[in-house]
Amino acid sequence: MNKVLDLLDPLLILSAALMGVALYLIFIWVPTETNQGAVQRILYFHVPIAWGSMLGIFVVSGSSFMYLWKKNERWDRLAVASAEVGVVFGGMMLLSGMIWARPVWAVWWTGEAKLTTALILFFIYVAYLMFRAYFPPGAQRQRLAAIIGVIGAIDTPIIYFAANLWSQAHPPIITGPGADADSTLGSDLGTVLLVSTLAFTFLFIFMVQTRYKIRKSEDDLVELKRSSSASVMTGAS
Amino acid sequence: MINTLTRTGAIQVAFAIVLAVSVSAAMTEISSAEHVPPLSGIVVGVETDSNGNLTRFAVSDSTGTVNTFTIFDGTEFGLENQVGDRWVSTQGAEPMESARRLRDHRERFAPITVTSENGTAFSVVEREEGKLETNLGYLFAVFAVTWALFFAYVLYMGRKQRVLQHEIAKLKGTIGL
Repeated sequence: MNKVLDLLDPLLILSAALMGVALYLIFIWVPTETNQGAVQRILYFHVPIAWGSMLGIFVVSGSSFMYLWKKNERWDRLAVASAEVGVVFGGMMLLSGMIWARPVWAVWWTGEAKLTTALILFFIYVAYLMFRAYFPPGAQRQRLAAIIGVIGAIDTPIIYFAANLWSQAHPPIITGPGADADSTLGSDLGTVLLVSTLAFTFLFIFMVQTRYKIRKSEDDLVELKRSSSASVMTGAS
Repeated sequence: MINTLTRTGAIQVAFAIVLAVSVSAAMTEISSAEHVPPLSGIVVGVETDSNGNLTRFAVSDSTGTVNTFTIFDGTEFGLENQVGDRWVSTQGAEPMESARRLRDHRERFAPITVTSENGTAFSVVEREEGKLETNLGYLFAVFAVTWALFFAYVLYMGRKQRVLQHEIAKLKGTIGL
């Protein structure tokens, strides 16, 4: 029972409720798109997940910058938490995109600009986490990881504008400041996308928050182990 | 006399049977050719001769099956470029342009619809809207895989947090905090 209650975070409840609404809108309410048919409904999952992935690198970059400036452990923890959740979202983005591409483009993958830059983003996350996992612990690791985190954010605007910069197979931008008036979604499709994006944003925040707590617990454990061995040493002497 | 008549009758019957079978076979062929539904998909291959004239092209449909089509001078084209300008012509009139347009479609993954008979394309046009199959399997795959992974990750984090808290409580007990 406690295990279940532990998971019932208000953010998770909010995300689940919004997800329920989004699923109703996606499968019952919104009309089927004429060109692609039912498979187009993947959009309402793929775009919010991609948004979560980009949000992740923004948080990694912002908190890495704050760590370099303030040297506060909390920012470093937030960067790690966001990077790990970002890998999950990034992986999901690539996977859902590949499954969508197969029936629509007849290929699983192509070296197209938006896809390639999105893959690079995923590798940036992975490289960041690998660096942290294999570099010896300490202030230098945190500093270098923060620099990777800040530099990694350069890829985000490139991904966002890739479809407009290099007109290729990927559809143009449909939301945000770069969206062309001719390619924006209709009101029904836009509403569904907005609800789904909100649901995934709350899910992202919940995941980062949980991962942050884990990171805090890991740091506390290391500190306790250090105190424990120090007290044993004192007792022995 | 009777033998001659019998022989002539047998030849006539045989001829009639051969004719009937031939006509039936021909009709079946025409009938099946007429009922070949237009195929929609993505251009995956374009073949030209030494002069750059289109000779064959291949289209992959939504199930991944690759269909190769030959063309003839009367093959009609109605293809749009990136900005939506439609080019209408025949293979006989512009054999090089047809190859260029199909290559452009291949690079952009722009789908086309091909009407054909026995592997020969009669018309190649921009994909007719609303003809793509529902592909519910792909839709299910995306939702199932995504949710399975998100649930797995949330459960993994919950479990990891509990293990860490248990270890912290144990250590605190050991060092008397």
